[in-house]
Amino acid sequence: MLTVLVTGLAVGALYAAAALAYNVMYSTSKVLSLTTGHIFMLSGVFGAFFIGELGLPMPVGFVGAIAIGTLFGVVTEFVAIRRVLARSDEHLWLLSTLAVATIVQQSVGLWWGTEPKPFPRLIPQDFSAGIWDQKYWLPIATIAVLVVGLELFQRRTLLGKIFLAVSEDAFAARARGVSVNRVRALSYALAGILGAVAGFAAGQLTFAYFALGLTLTLNGFIALAVGGLGSNLGAVVGGLALGLLTASATYFFGGEYQQTIAVGLLMLLLLVKPEGLFGAKRTRHV
Amino acid sequence: MQQIVGIAVKRRRTLLAGVVLAGTMAFAPTLFAADTSPIKVGWISSLTGPLSSAALAENQGVKFAIDEINKAGGINGRPLELLTRDTGGDPTKAVNFANQLVHSDKVAFIIGPVNSGESLATIPIVAKAGVPNIVIAAVDELTNPVKYPRAFRVINTSEQWIRTANHYALDVLKHRKVAIIGDTTGYGTDSAKKAAKLLEAAGAKPVYSVLVDPNKTSLSDEMEKARAAGADVVMPWSAATGLLARILNTRGDMQWDVPVVGHPSLMALPIRNLLNKPTYWENTYSAGYVSTTYGADGKLPERTQKLMDAIRPSLGGKIEFTFWWVALGYDAVKVIEHAVKKAGSTDPKAIQAALESTRDLKGVYGDYGWGPQDRNGFPDAGMVVNKANTFKEGSFERAPQ
Repeated sequence: MLTVLVTGLAVGALYAAAALAYNVMYSTSKVLSLTTGHIFMLSGVFGAFFIGELGLPMPVGFVGAIAIGTLFGVVTEFVAIRRVLARSDEHLWLLSTLAVATIVQQSVGLWWGTEPKPFPRLIPQDFSAGIWDQKYWLPIATIAVLVVGLELFQRRTLLGKIFLAVSEDAFAARARGVSVNRVRALSYALAGILGAVAGFAAGQLTFAYFALGLTLTLNGFIALAVGGLGSNLGAVVGGLALGLLTASATYFFGGEYQQTIAVGLLMLLLLVKPEGLFGAKRTRHV
Repeated sequence: MQQIVGIAVKRRRTLLAGVVLAGTMAFAPTLFAADTSPIKVGWISSLTGPLSSAALAENQGVKFAIDEINKAGGINGRPLELLTRDTGGDPTKAVNFANQLVHSDKVAFIIGPVNSGESLATIPIVAKAGVPNIVIAAVDELTNPVKYPRAFRVINTSEQWIRTANHYALDVLKHRKVAIIGDTTGYGTDSAKKAAKLLEAAGAKPVYSVLVDPNKTSLSDEMEKARAAGADVVMPWSAATGLLARILNTRGDMQWDVPVVGHPSLMALPIRNLLNKPTYWENTYSAGYVSTTYGADGKLPERTQKLMDAIRPSLGGKIEFTFWWVALGYDAVKVIEHAVKKAGSTDPKAIQAALESTRDLKGVYGDYGWGPQDRNGFPDAGMVVNKANTFKEGSFERAPQ
């Protein structure tokens, strides 16, 4: 039962990271980018490629994976968001981000292959450590650091405060001389960094697998919806809850009911509390 | 006057008969010449996408057989024209391509699709068009002499894999406390249920049975539960190499020395790289084929070796994937060659009759035979159990007996 808890927490931490990445991008663009999970996938695949196949040292591979994640974030903003938001108020971003996600996944599948490949061991440790194996605690610890780091960034730095200002009211921020486009691009880069660090830390858990992106895009979104759109605390709680629920559902009822039970319970929660656990209640002025 | 008219009519009739005769003579070479038009073969494959590994290898065998037949002058003087369609593993695309091939391209045969999910979608379409279909997917429901009379399977059925593995676990290893781990895909669920049913019929009801998501990141709980249930053999039914590797890693990490016996993907090469330690692949056995199993003398069956030697240059000199996929693709085309030669034409009815009366057709992957009520051509005698960690040139050693 302890392993259920640990694996649930590790997977949940990954979902929480995906939900955080959603939040960061959403805050400046009001877009739920369907490329979110693919940042993690790219980091895992390129981390494995740099270290496992090119034989580069781990720190170099780590920096390389982050660079890829950041670049992907910026490219997503430039290709799928900027022009769409400039020309239309409709939800065309759904299509454009889906297109980018599909192109990236197919390209990685063609280049990297469609079978999962190993992700290198990051810290020397025997494989018999059980629940203390790094594949579990590394993603949990990394994501805890990322959450704290993100909070500090948003609350304590000028750039973070500008992010919040754009998030609160983009027009007002623009009126005060903030380049909203540039801030939005930076937020996508930040989501890229966040996703790449988390994807790299969880590589041993997920393997370097081209189809990982879609799973994280979906589960990250569920975690976000449960926790409450826009709330970092909600993203973390939602992600961990989803991870623990799916692990427990599999343990007690079998894998065939895993998604149904987990998502069913979360739907129930949303029926009772549509704004999510920590989401701001929407009020309509009349 | 009447006589003159009669003569004129006679002359006209003679003239008409002459014209008909001359016309017949003029067109006679065309009417009686042998048909040299190409025989179109539709090949519905998943050369890209998540299920491409098998398809890419099979494609090598298909192309090689087509080239070989065409270089030898075709079948009864008619060359084969291959129309390859890449579904990317998507059943919707497979359906579109099946419709296109049978209705627009008017192919004489369809090979594929590669995957059972796609095949389940295309089989009724091809059957409705009356086009002979060479089936290379394993799910049992794909063949039916009444519903799909012209669908002939060359690959084994999924039940043959299960029976082979069950026999090895129960009768050779003498283990009867079985833990079954299937994945939640249609194939995994179906296979796990079938395996449990067959084991129960053999008096060895599984002590533990579970279905897990193929991308599940940890199998610790399931393996712990299997051990707690007293399992002395673990039988995974999944084609997902990631899941299979995780089962082997968990077994190794928990230092549980229990044999793992199951799906052929257990010996797939990608697993080797996913293991925490190479030793984790030991004591692992999977259903395999006589055609790609080394004999006691260390040699492969003659026909396999011959094809391997012939095709090796086109594979860059190295065989990096399971060779039975290549052999299966090769045989699928050779079965078409056999059917056309035996039928004397590509008439679908004649092809059906020719294949229904085929017995012991020697192939590389196996020897085939079908009957009026039997559409599964691969014999049980063509199956063995292999040691999973003995990959060498796409073939394997036989599991200890």
